[in-house]
Amino acid sequence: METATLDGKAIALGDAYKHAAKILSGAAFPLVAGLGADVAGARAAILLAERLKGAFDHLASRETLADIDVKRSFGMFTTTANEARLRGDCVVLIGPGLTRAWPGMLERLALAEPPRRGAQAQQPRKVIWVGPEGDEANAVPGAKVIPASVQELSGVLAAWRARFGGRPVALGAEKVALIDGLVETLRNARFGVFVWSASTLDPLAIEMMQALVIELNATTRFTGVHIGGRSGASGVTQAAGWMTGFPPRTGFGRGYPEHDPWRFESSRLVDSGEADAALWISAFDGEKPSWSRADIPLITLAPAHTSPSRGLFIKVGQPGVTHDAVLMSQETGGMTLRKASAPTDAPSVAQAIGAIMAEVSEGAWR
Amino acid sequence: MKPFTFTLRQEPPQRVDLSALTPDRLAGKSVAQIEAIELGVTRISTKVGDLFKVSEGDLKTVRFEGGSSRFDLLGAKLLPGFAIHVEGDVGAQCGRLAKGGRITVAGNAGPHAASGNLGAEIEIKGDVGEFLAGPLAGELAGMAGGRVIVRGKAGERAGDRLRRGILVIEGDAGEDLGARLIAGTILVLGEAKGRVGYLNKRGSIVLARGGCFGSTYVDCGAHELTFARLFARSLRDHSAPAADLLSRKLRRYGGDTAVFGKGEILTAD
Repeated sequence: METATLDGKAIALGDAYKHAAKILSGAAFPLVAGLGADVAGARAAILLAERLKGAFDHLASRETLADIDVKRSFGMFTTTANEARLRGDCVVLIGPGLTRAWPGMLERLALAEPPRRGAQAQQPRKVIWVGPEGDEANAVPGAKVIPASVQELSGVLAAWRARFGGRPVALGAEKVALIDGLVETLRNARFGVFVWSASTLDPLAIEMMQALVIELNATTRFTGVHIGGRSGASGVTQAAGWMTGFPPRTGFGRGYPEHDPWRFESSRLVDSGEADAALWISAFDGEKPSWSRADIPLITLAPAHTSPSRGLFIKVGQPGVTHDAVLMSQETGGMTLRKASAPTDAPSVAQAIGAIMAEVSEGAWR
Repeated sequence: MKPFTFTLRQEPPQRVDLSALTPDRLAGKSVAQIEAIELGVTRISTKVGDLFKVSEGDLKTVRFEGGSSRFDLLGAKLLPGFAIHVEGDVGAQCGRLAKGGRITVAGNAGPHAASGNLGAEIEIKGDVGEFLAGPLAGELAGMAGGRVIVRGKAGERAGDRLRRGILVIEGDAGEDLGARLIAGTILVLGEAKGRVGYLNKRGSIVLARGGCFGSTYVDCGAHELTFARLFARSLRDHSAPAADLLSRKLRRYGGDTAVFGKGEILTAD
């Protein structure tokens, strides 16, 4: 396997870095996208975007921004998975595919075991799952399953909140009685936890759920555990936050960071022709860009098996697999070091970008 | 006297920030000074003179002959008593935080048109993008005054967190019309797709066509509302179809009961 290719043909790694720097320096508005990387890779990529006066976006920023939008324009109660496991006496899982978004969820939350701390310690844990997919909920014995499609989730949460406040809903008496029973369970919880993933819950539904959390907190304790996006989204967002003050979809066109979730959305930037060169980073799994234009000069940093036939490709190692990597851990809600499980000598994202950056001189463009 | 005119020479190569081209910010500047104003938002410099031919005139009205979907922040912070007309399209955030005055756009507008509007009258003859009159990322409230008339269609999330003022959409509205309304009024004469009025606190949404609004909107019956007829009279000159809609018998759905239930959706019965 070649370590670098240009339109499918092998080139020397040093030439690849020089060529990448030339493409990015010559562009009017270069884009650093994908950003599927560990914290060191994200730091290097954001620094590069800043030096190039370009923009950066993460491939899962739609999901990340759904949670952030609620956090910054409304408010959000969250806790760590470990706290939920130790104290949560009532756990409400919302939406399908949670175990896909976070494969270790059931093991970490230990839903089948009773909570170990708090007022309800050693009492059976109540688990409610709204709209699981297939037999996903079978893995939690005793879980109460409320069937709902993804489209219905926001309506279900709205009806719960209306009945929690004692306000009317346009539903039959039988359904209202069911909702009232469920709301009573939430009210009687001593440490309740909602678990969701923004991949299936839209920002308005998340806001509805968090508003219910606020109302529940008037008389009891309720909080949430949100499942972060794929390809290191949470860690990259943290790095972007401490470096620029903003999450991904931030641009440096005027020399200072400007955040605009519409303007700096990577697919829109490419498809509208505003971005005229792109660096695509997807070091975890080699996910492909979501834009439709194929004529943009493209540099891809991805694992070996994803070598694209078009544009410049530089093979990089996988964070936590071929390289030691600092990643945001869903399990602990903090940054953790993942030791490499199968080290290789491929460059890491940070090393590859560092090598490209070395070929980009400050202010050299145009 | 003829208006102060910017005639488009060429499509801008990148997005441009036109917030500097409002009457109060142009006042006292010579044509040469105006032509040197930097509009670019990327590392490529784009000056007024590169994009426009500037013809001096009465600054009460600024006219753009030719528009572009890359014209961002047109008429931002416009002051009362002034007017801006665009013979073409505009980009994002047209009329952002305008304090008053009048903006007319002959073509389409991008996302976040009339965002944070405080009192301007904004008319878009074509379609608008998503988040019409909505807040920018992280802001707590949307438009807080003024009147916005869209003759065409509106994108998703029109009227998000509207706080005060009137929105008229004569065409169709995208998903999540009137989400998180705080107060104010939205009228839609076309079809409103998908969820309507989710998390509505105490705003009014008037729809020409009925629909299913979910379990947290409760049917309150059909009414001949006196206020709606008064409101219709005040809207007659700006949007005749909206005035006609308000003059009809309206069925009221109270909601969103998930929030307070003080808001409403009115539909022509």
